[in-house]
This record gives sequence, C-alpha cells and structure tokens, in this order.
Amino acid sequence: MKTPDPLLEARGLTVTVGGRTILRDVDLKAVRHRVVGIIGQSGAGKSTLLKCLNRLIELDPRYTLTGDVRLDGLSIYGAGVDVEALRARVGILFQQPVVFPRSIFQNVLFGVRHHGKVPRRNWPEVAERALEEVTLWNEVKDRLHDSALRLSVGQQQRLCLARTLAVGPEVILMDEPTSALDPRSVAAIEELILRLKATRTVVLVTHNLEQARRVADTLVCLCVRDGAGEIAESGSCADVLTHPRCSETIHFLESEGRSSLQTDSSLKKG
Amino acid sequence: MRRAKNVLFVATTAGCAVLSCGVLLAIVGAVLSRGFHAVSWGFLTEQIRLVGADGGIFYNLIGTLILITTALVVCTPFALGIGLLCGVYWRRSRWRRGLVFLLYLLNGVPSILLGLLGLMVFVKYLGWGKSWLAGGIILGAMILPSVAIALIERIDGLPAKYAEAAAGLGLSPGQIIWSVIVPQSLNGLVTGLLLGLARAAGETAPIMFTATIFAGATLPHEIKESPVLSLPYHIFVLAQDSFDPQVAGKLWGTALVLLGMVFILSLAALPVRLRTREEAQHP
Repeated sequence: MKTPDPLLEARGLTVTVGGRTILRDVDLKAVRHRVVGIIGQSGAGKSTLLKCLNRLIELDPRYTLTGDVRLDGLSIYGAGVDVEALRARVGILFQQPVVFPRSIFQNVLFGVRHHGKVPRRNWPEVAERALEEVTLWNEVKDRLHDSALRLSVGQQQRLCLARTLAVGPEVILMDEPTSALDPRSVAAIEELILRLKATRTVVLVTHNLEQARRVADTLVCLCVRDGAGEIAESGSCADVLTHPRCSETIHFLESEGRSSLQTDSSLKKG
Repeated sequence: MRRAKNVLFVATTAGCAVLSCGVLLAIVGAVLSRGFHAVSWGFLTEQIRLVGADGGIFYNLIGTLILITTALVVCTPFALGIGLLCGVYWRRSRWRRGLVFLLYLLNGVPSILLGLLGLMVFVKYLGWGKSWLAGGIILGAMILPSVAIALIERIDGLPAKYAEAAAGLGLSPGQIIWSVIVPQSLNGLVTGLLLGLARAAGETAPIMFTATIFAGATLPHEIKESPVLSLPYHIFVLAQDSFDPQVAGKLWGTALVLLGMVFILSLAALPVRLRTREEAQHP
C-alpha cells in the first residue's frame, strides 16, 4: 500500500548555532490527519526541530539552517514565502502556556484580529467556536472579559490551543504541551489531540512515552550522536516502542521506563 | 559572629531606609506646615499681584503644566523610538552600546547648559525669543535619557516567550512590536516619564533663559515671544525676597503646589504600575 504524501516534510535538516551543530540531517514526514510523535533524550534538539517547521527558529538570528522543509510540497524556506501566513498555517503550542496579560476573549482572538481576515462582527463567533473546540467554553463563557492570567495552568494551555486554532492552522506543532499540567489537564489535552486529528495534522514532542503510545500514529526518536541530534529511529508506535532496533532508542526507552510502558500496555489489553 | 554581622547588615540597611524616608518626610513636613496656610482657592485661581507678595499663582501653575505637557509630547515619541531601536532592532548590535552611552552622557549634562543651548538655538538663532515651546523642548531633551533608559530596561526584561507566541500566531514584526512589546513596556515608559516630568516640573535653569518670566505673562497664543510663568522660577525669585513674611508664605504655598503636582503625577501612574505588578504575580 502506498504511503500518503506528507503534508509537512523535513528533508536533510541541519541546524547550527555558533559553529555547534544542534541537529544533523533530520528527515521527518507528517501525513495529513495523523499525529507524529517526536521522542528522544534531553538536548537532542526536539524543540529546535519543531521551531524549524514553521520558521520560528529564525527569531534568533544566531541559528543557521540547511536542508529543507516542505508544506504541501512547497519549500517553506523558498524565496517569496510569506512567513506570517506560513506560521498561521503551521501553528505552535509551547511547553508552558503563554497567555498575554489581557482578557480571555482578547487572548483567543489575538492572532485573528491581527490577520484581519475575519470581520469584527464575527469575532465572538470565532472565539466561541475555538473555545468550544478545546472544551473551555462552558468554563469561561461567563467571564470572557476577565484576565486570562486568572485561569489555572491547564485552562491557560487550552486557551493557548484555542488561540492557535482560531487562526485556522492546518498543522499544529506541540512542544511538550502537557509537561506542566496536572493529570486531569493532561487527559483533557490528549483527548483534544485525538479529536483534532480529524481536521488537523499534529506534530507532538513529548517526553511521556505512555502519552506517545496513546496519541501518536507514528514516532520519531531523536538521539544525540557526536553532540548533535539525529534521527535514531522512526516508524509506527508499536515498532519504535516495543520493537526498537537502534541501540540509542533501546537505551532511551529503558531510561524512560520501558517496562512500565509494557505493563501499561498489557493492562490495557487485559 | 555571623549572627552579629547579619544584625549589623539589617540595622545598616534599615538605618539607610529610615534616613532617606526621614529626609523626605522632613521636606514634605516643612513645605506642608509652612505652605498650608497660604494655599487657598484664591491662591490657585488668581494671578500674581504686587510682584508676588499678593494674588495667586494661576498662570504659574498653567505655565508649568504647559511646559511639562510640551516636554511629555516632545519626549515620548523620541523615547519610544530610541527604546525600540535599542531594545528590539539593535538588541545584539554594538550601535546600541554607543547610543546608550550617549544617553547617559546627555543625562549627565548640567541642566543650565541645556538652558544655554536653548538660548543659543531657539531664543537667538531661530529668533523665538522666550517661548513656551523652547522651554518644553529643552525640558523634553533633559528628561529623554531617563525615559529612554527606563524603557530599554523594561523591554530587555520582557520574557521572549511573548514575542515568540505572537510570532507563532503569524504576527508580523511590526504587529509584535505594537501589540506585545509596546503595551507590555508601558510601565517602563510611564515610570520614566513620571520621574522625568517630576524632575522637569521643578527645574529652573533650563527654562529661565528660554521660556519663563516672573510676571506679566498669561496664556501663550503663539510660539515666538510667548513666555509663560512657572512655579519653579516663581519660587526662585520669591526665595530671594523671603525675608518678607507675606512673600515667604506665598513662597511655601507655591512649593506645596509644586509638591502636590509631583504627587498627582505619581498617583496618575499608579493604575499602570499596579496592573504590571498583577501581571508579574501571574507569570
């Protein structure tokens, strides 16, 4: 069976900063309506890789990049690419929720109002739809004009996701979005990721192997070789997590508690 | 021994705090006790009479407000421009170091020299004579370094995550500046302006050659030959004749009004400062 064409694809991506290589020759494919998980040891360049996928890496001019990233077959680093439009198509959710010191309503519409594509009269509708999509509407509908800083961390992260969704991205990059959250919020975000898959493509960096197994369709494991992050292994979740071939992946999985994963998996099967 | 050192350190810092607050309270107390009886509705709304021995300070108050408002209007765009240049565009550039050095240099220029500069440029070269605009511009230039540096420091202190999050939503660099960096740096700008304007309100040297006279001026109607009265120059002149008890009363009354003006400026900035503090408590 032919593999579907990827919506987002990194080819031979190498990133250096100040003469030091952070990522070396990384390939990654994100197929439409699938969740690609990126796992790997700390310092392997997972977050850097994510920021290369929507050119957010360019905010820091010290980074230089070779290779290419293609969205729908077109290079995002090509001449004449509208970077702002690209970032609206490839949204990002960070490890820590970043809410602006404004109201909940203003936060959801932060991207929308600056793009100017949605008429002002439709803003309330857009805000409601985005908040409903992240199951936050019922919790905040009576206090939309309260400061977003007063929300819990879990609610803030869902608000950030709503803000990203409001702009209408095709791909959502998530950089360990649940690492700062309590178990209930983690479950809520994971459920959201599974639901988002129906309409969007997700690239998820995670340290949590159980989470990777629960939500990812395919996995990429990054490892550090000669001081730079490289792809150790990629494939389906089952292949990477239960039948790893590469020694770095095996070592990483062992250190991250592979046994607990297997237990978890057998419990589910049972 | 460590405990004794700790106690000594705490006592020294507390002593410094008490001393500085004590000096401030002594000044406020002295001005309040001596000037309180002179301040009345008439004192605030009447114009100067009998060379300051009678009447009020209405046009002095208005003149000072005109001068500091002009300074505010002149200084704010330049401070914002310099702040954004150093804090955003030249963040990693060596030009930034040079510009900040110049700002510190300008901050250290004695205000009387700025007054002389205003005399040469505006009064003589441009032929404005004594003009409220010349005084406002010189005061604006005088407070520019402190306002710009406060703004640069605030921009430097902003967490990069906000700009990153805004860029991640597809905002252009200009939109990030105006919707993220400027609103969140407002506290630095307001604080710098507050300190600068409070200083400007009390300055005599830069305006005595350029903008202000002791008596005979009302509201300015044009730029050329349009001096204003001002509170600090009024105090300066009255202080030379303060042996007369009636004049001394007016002098302290004027000082109290000037102090009140600075206090009101501080109060006006309070909402912005409180809002920023609330944001800091919810990082």
